Amino acid sequence: MDIEFSPALEAFRAEVCAFLETAPPDVREAGRKTTSVFAPFETVMAWQKILSEKGWAAPNWPVEYGGTGWSAEQKYIFNEEYARRRLPPLLPNGLKMVGPLLIELGSEEQKQKHLPGILNGDDYWTQGYSEPNAGSDLASLNCSAVRDGDHYIINGQKTWTTLAFKANRMFMLVRTSSEGKKQQGITFLLLDRVDYPGMEIRPIIGLDGKPEQCEVFFNDVRVPVSGRVGAENDGWSVAKSLLKHERGGLGDSAAMYARLELIRAAAQGTPSPFGGMMADDPTFHQAIGELEAEIASCAAYERMMVSGHPIAQDPAAPSITKVIGSELAQKVSTMMAKVSGVNALPVQSQALEVGSNTAMLTDDFDLIAMPYYLLSRATTIYAGSDEVQRDLIARSVLAQHR
Amino acid sequence: MDFTFNPEQDMLRDSLRKLLEQQYDFDTRQKIVNGPLGQADALWPEFTDMGLLALPLPENRGGFGGKPSDLVAIGELFGQFLVSAPYVGAVMLGAQVLALGGAAQAVLLERVLGGQAVVALAHEESHGVGRLEVLQTEVQEGSDGLVLSGEKRLVLAGSAADKLIVSARGAQGLMLVLVDPAAQGVKVTGYQTVDGRQAANIRFDQVAIASADVLPDADSDSLNRILDLTRLMLSAEAVGAMSALVQISAAYAATRKQFGQPIGNFQAIVHKLADMKIACTKSQAHLLNVTALADMGRAAPRDFALLKAQMGRLGRLVGETAIQLHGGIAMTDELNVGHYHKRILAIEAMLGNTEYQLRLAGAGG
Ligand SMILES: Cc1cc2nc3c(=O)[nH]c(=O)nc-3n(C[C@H](O)[C@H](O)[C@H](O)COP(=O)(O)OP(=O)(O)OC[C@H]3O[C@@H](n4cnc5c(N)ncnc54)[C@H](O)[C@@H]3O)c2cc1C
Repeated sequence: MDIEFSPALEAFRAEVCAFLETAPPDVREAGRKTTSVFAPFETVMAWQKILSEKGWAAPNWPVEYGGTGWSAEQKYIFNEEYARRRLPPLLPNGLKMVGPLLIELGSEEQKQKHLPGILNGDDYWTQGYSEPNAGSDLASLNCSAVRDGDHYIINGQKTWTTLAFKANRMFMLVRTSSEGKKQQGITFLLLDRVDYPGMEIRPIIGLDGKPEQCEVFFNDVRVPVSGRVGAENDGWSVAKSLLKHERGGLGDSAAMYARLELIRAAAQGTPSPFGGMMADDPTFHQAIGELEAEIASCAAYERMMVSGHPIAQDPAAPSITKVIGSELAQKVSTMMAKVSGVNALPVQSQALEVGSNTAMLTDDFDLIAMPYYLLSRATTIYAGSDEVQRDLIARSVLAQHR
Repeated sequence: MDFTFNPEQDMLRDSLRKLLEQQYDFDTRQKIVNGPLGQADALWPEFTDMGLLALPLPENRGGFGGKPSDLVAIGELFGQFLVSAPYVGAVMLGAQVLALGGAAQAVLLERVLGGQAVVALAHEESHGVGRLEVLQTEVQEGSDGLVLSGEKRLVLAGSAADKLIVSARGAQGLMLVLVDPAAQGVKVTGYQTVDGRQAANIRFDQVAIASADVLPDADSDSLNRILDLTRLMLSAEAVGAMSALVQISAAYAATRKQFGQPIGNFQAIVHKLADMKIACTKSQAHLLNVTALADMGRAAPRDFALLKAQMGRLGRLVGETAIQLHGGIAMTDELNVGHYHKRILAIEAMLGNTEYQLRLAGAGG
């Protein structure tokens, strides 16, 4: 066993730090104002452009497609330094979902057409899977695509499509057959625009009072067949491959440690009702201690993943990873809102915008505490709910005894 | 023993429920809350006519001398309908504290009870616990008389109040002083809270206080009694919100289908509903018990503390579970579930959160 990084890796760390220190002020502000996995859109996309020019936008991609070629440890270090500076996380849909999928399963033409825009941030891809009646039971999706020469004609509705109103691309699942098992009639499509005639996007206002998810309606929308990934009716297995990328990698503990430090700093400036500062209060010590223990366990589990330890290769590992990560975000955000207390109650949507002229009432800790708490409730709902994940985990453990 | 509402209280509840059903369904509520800041007047004329503004005030101050159970009777409905009108800020706190004053405040009090003026109590500071011992705001003897300095947070109904009553430390202990929000040195920053109430953070920078604006005989026991009664009222709102969430969630679980069946068939969902129902029942029982104690004048500060703590813990559980049970739809502003949860969260943070109350009670306070 060895927990140290080599001197070469520490030199790499210095290089990473030097570059990340050059992040522009609005990017840092966007990081401080990030309240979910989706950082403020325009700023984070512009930042992605800067990172991609440096060649660092896609640490997970192979070098030949513009990836970094970093080892798992290098990625770990990069992620740690990135999170420590509270820089805004790059949006996952292109870089962590459809990009890796195309690299794995896309045609040569699709790769050439789409990967550069995904990498440099010209394109933003929204994910069109869920429908009003197909949530956890995604395979029951109904939005249909009927082949007509070189086109599919799409009819139906998608929902919860995050940031569709900012996107210019969409990847989606459609029903192309109603025969056999419901998983067997699904096809995976890439839409090279989201303004096809017959497409309508309506934003949904979230618990933080801002639009993020959307409904997308399709009325006889003709899209080229060349956007299909994999074979017709084989979209479910394509989606499963994508899921592997979406769920793979936890990478959250560094961000959570950064938030832990924020909480500690806030407690330094918050008087305790029992006298002195909250930071000197034994009840606070216990609460923050509990939180740090949770983060430490999560960080340890990440290291098992990075180092390829067998416990992280368990068949249930993807689900365990998802549950650990989402519950941790909820614990951290709950503690933030508690420490912020009455200062978390004002709605400050204006001040939360990057570059806003509206003054914050108190400070940026109080500014994000409530939206972050509220939006974190979604982490146990999306990408496979907690209940569904627990079923999978239990089934996997039980299977060893049946 | 009897923990049910009496016939007059049932009647009051019936007419209030009718009013809210007619004028304050969820969509209307959302329009009001999303309208310009200061639409606090919605429901205020009706509340005035129904006598709700005068309800908790003593009869010798023009009130109805209502009992704690009268307040709980309406408070539950406020929670159930997510009422944003400033009852807690303007009546439970503002009017009740104003009524501690003497003859000099009689005219203002009359206007408040008539619904023509709003007085807000500027008491909370950044702890948000309402504890008098930790007040930082001060009244000092200056060369030209008294001056007030300090900062108040989450002044409920404070964004559009005609007058503020500010709690402060003075030479002789607690002082309550009337301040005009337009006076020199007062800076009011109004906002809406996550649960749709109007509030303000207010700075007082060397504000001159006339001696006539100092409430005579302001004693901490009276103020603490008012704060505890407000905790009871907030607890009633929390119970109203929790009951609503149980009903809404059960209805959703029975009708929302995934995998070809209602999600209420899945044990993971069934157990959540059971947890919510248990938490709600405990909360209701706890509320009614403390209410009865308070009616008899036998509720001690620790009774209110334990009640408030349970509202925070159980309410959070009910709210978070309701969201999880609903899935993505609960993350929208359009569905009422998130708004109930926000109401519960705000109540938890006001006048001392769960951890604070537990510590008070645990220390034997
Ligand atoms: C913030 C956010 C962003 C999202 N972004 C996107 C996006 O970009 N693109 C996209 O396509 N989708 C997106 N989604 C949708 C997300 O994938 C769905 O919300 C999720 O699949 C759950 O579906 P549902 O909301 O319909 O809930 P339902 O499936 O109706 O679930 C309701 C409840 O029932 C439980 N449940 C369901 N089935 C079972 C079972 N068999 N056993 C036990 N419990 C069960 C669930 O766990 C949940 O508690 C997003 C959702 C959110 C909240």
